[in-house]
Formats: sequence, structure tokens, C-alpha cells
Amino acid sequence: MTPKTKCVVISLGLAALVAGCGSPSNISKETDHGIANVKMESTFDSKPDSPVHTIVMPHDEPVFRPGPGRDDFVIACVVCHSPRYITMQPRFSRTTWLGEANKMKDVYGAHISDEQVLKITDYLVSINGKPDAGQAPKGTYGE
Amino acid sequence: MNRRGSLQLISATGAAALTASCNRINSAVGTLSSPTNLIRFPEKTEMILLTDRPPQLETPIHYFRQDLTPNEAFFVRWHLEGVPTSVDLRTFRLNVSGHVREPLQLSVDELRSQFEPISIIAVNQCSGNSRSFFEPRVPGGQWKDGAVGNAKWTGVPLKSILDRAQVKSGAVDVSFNGLDVPPLASVSDFVKALSIDHARDGEVMIAYAMNDQALPMVNGFPLRLVVPGWYGTYWVKALSDITVLPQVFSNFWTDKAYRIPKGPNGTESPKDLAKDTVPINRFNVRSIFVRPEPDETLHPGMPAEMEGIAFDSGYGIRQVEVSTDGGATWADARLDPEIGKYSWRRWRASWTPATRGQYRLMARATNAMGETQSKEQWNRSGFMWNVIQQLDVKVG
Repeated sequence: MTPKTKCVVISLGLAALVAGCGSPSNISKETDHGIANVKMESTFDSKPDSPVHTIVMPHDEPVFRPGPGRDDFVIACVVCHSPRYITMQPRFSRTTWLGEANKMKDVYGAHISDEQVLKITDYLVSINGKPDAGQAPKGTYGE
Repeated sequence: MNRRGSLQLISATGAAALTASCNRINSAVGTLSSPTNLIRFPEKTEMILLTDRPPQLETPIHYFRQDLTPNEAFFVRWHLEGVPTSVDLRTFRLNVSGHVREPLQLSVDELRSQFEPISIIAVNQCSGNSRSFFEPRVPGGQWKDGAVGNAKWTGVPLKSILDRAQVKSGAVDVSFNGLDVPPLASVSDFVKALSIDHARDGEVMIAYAMNDQALPMVNGFPLRLVVPGWYGTYWVKALSDITVLPQVFSNFWTDKAYRIPKGPNGTESPKDLAKDTVPINRFNVRSIFVRPEPDETLHPGMPAEMEGIAFDSGYGIRQVEVSTDGGATWADARLDPEIGKYSWRRWRASWTPATRGQYRLMARATNAMGETQSKEQWNRSGFMWNVIQQLDVKVG
């Protein structure tokens, strides 16, 4: 096992995110949904004999509209996953979104307080919510 | 440690990739449940974008007209943000350790040259394929029918590797870890396990080729565990560590995640969730329409070919029936020859709609055990969808 090496990967990855990607709000231009015009790279393709196979991942992340709780959402959630984890979901009730936010905190260890969970839930409901209908599906693990 | 070199490279390029990603093209959030959004990842064709980080990419249905799904179109699903983006084959090793007499560190070249290769054509399907069809809707990857693919996998039987490592008596489980890493220390590393008997069945294999080519990086380069007939969660990508255990394996991804209600076909009621759950395991029986496509318009009096695929966990598809009147009447579809017990099997049926209007086509597969598709189904995780397939088409 190589736990130390893994820490290097994680810390560098987080540093990069915090440095440049944590807040999409500074990106001025919004484009329509469509094919991402991100340059694709795979050095393996161009040099088939190379023993080192490297790719560069594209990203196509939505910009989120202003609203209460948005900053908490961007800071806490986007560290570990694309905000597309939210936009691909159907509209869910507050109960379901609260369950998802709590799952991130309690199960995956997101660094957020109970107060932030509520703020993030408010924001998720505001952008992709629907009225509570008595019961709601419990959160799921894995997909 | 030989892996160190390759992982350090990953870390450097990973950070570079993330920094570079800030130049990404942003899509407005606009409407949620947005129209189909296509994206190209390295070594992949345009695929349906569910999420970009970590990537979850769905195969457009028209690729299922081919018996073997092209590598560039094969679905992609990762759990952890730290997806490997660089592998150095000079330093990469598959480590076999734990309850064995001879721990191994094997390069991909050694796997290719020192073991007798086997090839198996097998379906790989995400546990949550078709999740978006469950009602009430459940959170998770909102796949339609494209989180599945069929490929010819070539590699080494896991049994051969375990035999060389000389498993000690009393082995219970074998766990599998890949090069992907969690974004936070609190997130469990993605590790899965099989029983020692399953691991030594001679069919579970470590694939270094997919359709006779190296695997695309996002499909698990350089090695992927292949577990024929079982859901994709066990098909660990970028496989780097195999550990033989003298006890039952336990972690978040088996104890809490990827579990199904213990009842028949993993079904429970939203109002009364099952108390007993078990780890998800073999595929149930299902079919998928390939033709016509959902937005296709057919014409009255013109023959329309219906075509689809059907598969189960390896018993074999015995019958596929189709209905063009919403399930009132059924007729047998023609089955193409079987190309492998873990492969999907193609079916075809001819239909000439008489009059204009909306039609509900249905397909129902049955396997050699007499197991067939569900009339209704729900579970909290949106796993194992196999409700009788429906396709609404317009004749005009």
C-alpha cells in the first residue's frame, strides 16, 4: 500500500481546486449546453510505443446562479465532485436534498457544519426542488 | 515500492489537469434535467454526459446495433474524484498479497507473457443502469439504458494468478483495489471483494485487452477485473492490488453501498423499506430496444424492423417476446445465434403498423431458468432495473 503517495495526489488535487476552480463565479462567460470544446489529449495515442500513458480530463461544469447558500454549496461540494451531480438529478423534495447533504457530511466526511448542511439544502431546493409529498426516497449509496 | 513512481506521475499530471480545467467551457445551469449533453473524453467518442468529475458517461443507444460495443463508446462510471490519468507501464505492478505464500508483483508484460490468456465476451452493466425510470425517482446517476456494454475481454484468469501466489488454507475473500483515490481522507477508498470460491472459478479474470485493444484510460487502463454475469461495481478499474483475506471483507462500499433488498429481484416498497439487504450480485434478466429509436417516426403500411438485445447472468436467453399494442398481445421475436453465455443476445421482429397513431412497443426476455422481466419494481438505490421494456413510438 502507498498511503503517503495517495496523500500527495489528494493534496495536489485539492490545492489545484482551491486555487483555481473552487468558485466558478469569476467566470464571466456562460455558454449554452452543448459539446464541450475542450482540447482532448492522450499522449498514448500519439506515441503508441510510449510506456507512459497519460490523458488530460476535460471538464464541463455548470455555473450556478446566485442565491442564499450558494457560496456554502460551491465551497463544500465542488471540492469532491462536479456540480453536475446536482444538475443531473430530477427535482427532489427538501427531505431528499437534506438527506443527500447529510449523507455527504456524515458518510463521506465533507467538512461542513450542521448549519451549512441546512444552507446548502436551502440552495439545492431553490435550484432543483419540489414540494415535499409525504414520503421521499431515502438517500442512496453508490450509484 | 514500484507503484510509487507511477503514482507520483499521476499526482503531478493530475494537478496539472485540474489547473488546466479552470479554462473549461462552462455551461449555464439554465434548465435542470437538461437536454442530452454530449462530451468527448480522451480516447472516447461523443458520449452522453452525466457528470464530468469524476466522469460518468453513457453510451448512445445506436452503438448497441453492434454486438461488441466499441471501446470508444463503452460507458464510464467512476466513484472517486481522484481518477488515474497517467500510468507508467515500466513501474506499474499488479500486487498480490495477504493470505498467500508467495506475494506477487506483476508487470503488464509479465501478465501477457507468463500466463495462458483467455478471452470472454461479456456484458458489463452498471448496477444503476436505467435508474431514471424508477418511480418515485431516486437520487444517483440518472442513467437511461446506456450504462451497459458488451465486449471481448482478454487477459488472465484470476485463478491462475492466485495459484501462482499460493493461497493459504482458510482464505475467505479476495479484495480488489484500483489506482483511483478518494478526494478526502474521510471518503472510503473504492475497494470491492469476491468470495475465494468465486475468485477461483476460472472465469473471473484480469483483462489487459478489451475488443483486442488496450483499455481506454477511463475504462480502467491498464488492467480491469472482469466478473462475468455480475454488476459493474465488481469490475474494478485500473486494478493494482489484490489481497487474499482469511476473513470476510468489510468496508463502506460493501457494507453500506451497493446493497439490494433481500426479497425477490431486489424490490421493496417506498413506504416500507426492506430491513434486510444483501450485496448486489448477478444480473437479472432484461432487454433493451435498439430499434426503432425513441424519436423515430414510423409510417403506416411500411415494414418496420424492431431490434434489441437481451441478457442475463449467464444462463442464456431462451425467448424474447414483443408487443406492439401495449402488452395486450405478444409474439416471439427471432433470436440471433448465441455468441457467448455472458454476452448479450440480439433479437429481431418485423412489424408493419397499419394506421397512424401512438404505439407502445414492449419487449420481454426470458432466460433458460424461466426467469423473466418484472412488471413493476422499485428500490431506494435504483438498482437492477428490469421492468418489461417499453418504447413509445409515433406512426405518422
